[in-house]
Amino acid sequence: MSAKPMTLLVIVTEAVLEDILIDEITELGAHGYTIVDGRGRGTHGTRSGRWTQGGNIRIEVIGNAQLCERIVDRLKTAYEHNYGLLMYTAPVELQN
Amino acid sequence: MQFEPVVLFFLLGVFAGLVRSDLKIPGSIYDALSIFLLLAIGLQGGVKLAEFPLSELILPSLAILFVGSLIPLVCFPVLRYLGRMTRADSASISAHYGSVSVVTFSVGVALLAQEDIDFEGFMIVFLVLLEMPALVIGVMLARYGAGTVRWGKLFQEVFFGKSILLLAGGLVIGFVAGPEGIKPLDILFFDLFKGILALFLLEMGLVAASRITGLRDYGLFLTSFAIITPLLSAVVGTILGWALGLSVGGTMLLATLYASASYIAAPAAMRIAVPQANPALSIGASLGITFPFNIFVGIPIYFWMSQFIHSLGA
Repeated sequence: MSAKPMTLLVIVTEAVLEDILIDEITELGAHGYTIVDGRGRGTHGTRSGRWTQGGNIRIEVIGNAQLCERIVDRLKTAYEHNYGLLMYTAPVELQN
Repeated sequence: MQFEPVVLFFLLGVFAGLVRSDLKIPGSIYDALSIFLLLAIGLQGGVKLAEFPLSELILPSLAILFVGSLIPLVCFPVLRYLGRMTRADSASISAHYGSVSVVTFSVGVALLAQEDIDFEGFMIVFLVLLEMPALVIGVMLARYGAGTVRWGKLFQEVFFGKSILLLAGGLVIGFVAGPEGIKPLDILFFDLFKGILALFLLEMGLVAASRITGLRDYGLFLTSFAIITPLLSAVVGTILGWALGLSVGGTMLLATLYASASYIAAPAAMRIAVPQANPALSIGASLGITFPFNIFVGIPIYFWMSQFIHSLGA
């Protein structure tokens, strides 16, 4: 078994940004991503997920550290100010 | 005053929301309901549209669009200077009030059906047309100092978003099929219309409840704005409808269109195009105040206004 060390980037943000962020992430070089719908509460208030546009999404991207850093920098400058946005990374080992 | 019982489902939803009931309409059902409503309204208009010569529509369309575009332009300075709101918030709220609400319109249609009063089918065309200009005007009002605008994304959202797509699509299908061709679909789209509208209003009540509890935060200005604006817009709509020679039903629906504020298309478009604006303010005002005001108080008043102005002319 040869596990590859990679970085997992998790982005929690507003559902309305989904299409835009997918474009950004793909342009920055991500080969794939996984998106799940969610709801929750943060400094931008409660996002109940009741309406299609009123919910949160969680985007997961796995890539090398540089890619994740590029994405984080880009989203920070462009979206952090006006949108609910939470990002975190974690080291993961890719098994396949 | 005329009263449409279907709005009671909205109250039930608000009540359920306020007492924190576990009642929740799953997102996919909500999506299905909204697809149904948009298609049904579009089809209904398309079938009726087949009865009118389309060339006669051009002039009234231009007049209705022109006057409709004035609504956000009048709202903006009021919000900005009288309400002392930020440019982004003023522009976003103006766009919400200039745009229209399909469900408010549907409640108006349901009331007319209950009173057995006919209306011009081309009103649905205006429903489609009026959704767009205010959003574009809102973005233009906001764009000074707002940085780059994603026009491409905005236009895609406005023109090919599901509400315009389904309304316009239903309109074309209804028009092409005609009353006879659409008969097999009558049971689903026309007979069940009110029942589906009731379920949709229940969900809207649940969502509105979360906005109503935040009402105190909006302040007296925005609350008054959310009630006075629809009334004034409706007066303009009534006069214009009458001047254009619309029937009582058509005039009432035009007043309702002008009075209604968007809470589905506009929030999505504004969140993308004017991200600095606080969505809680615009959605709170349009969904928490104006929508319930319109379906309970406004529409019966607009109906009365339309009957009144037509009785003057007679």
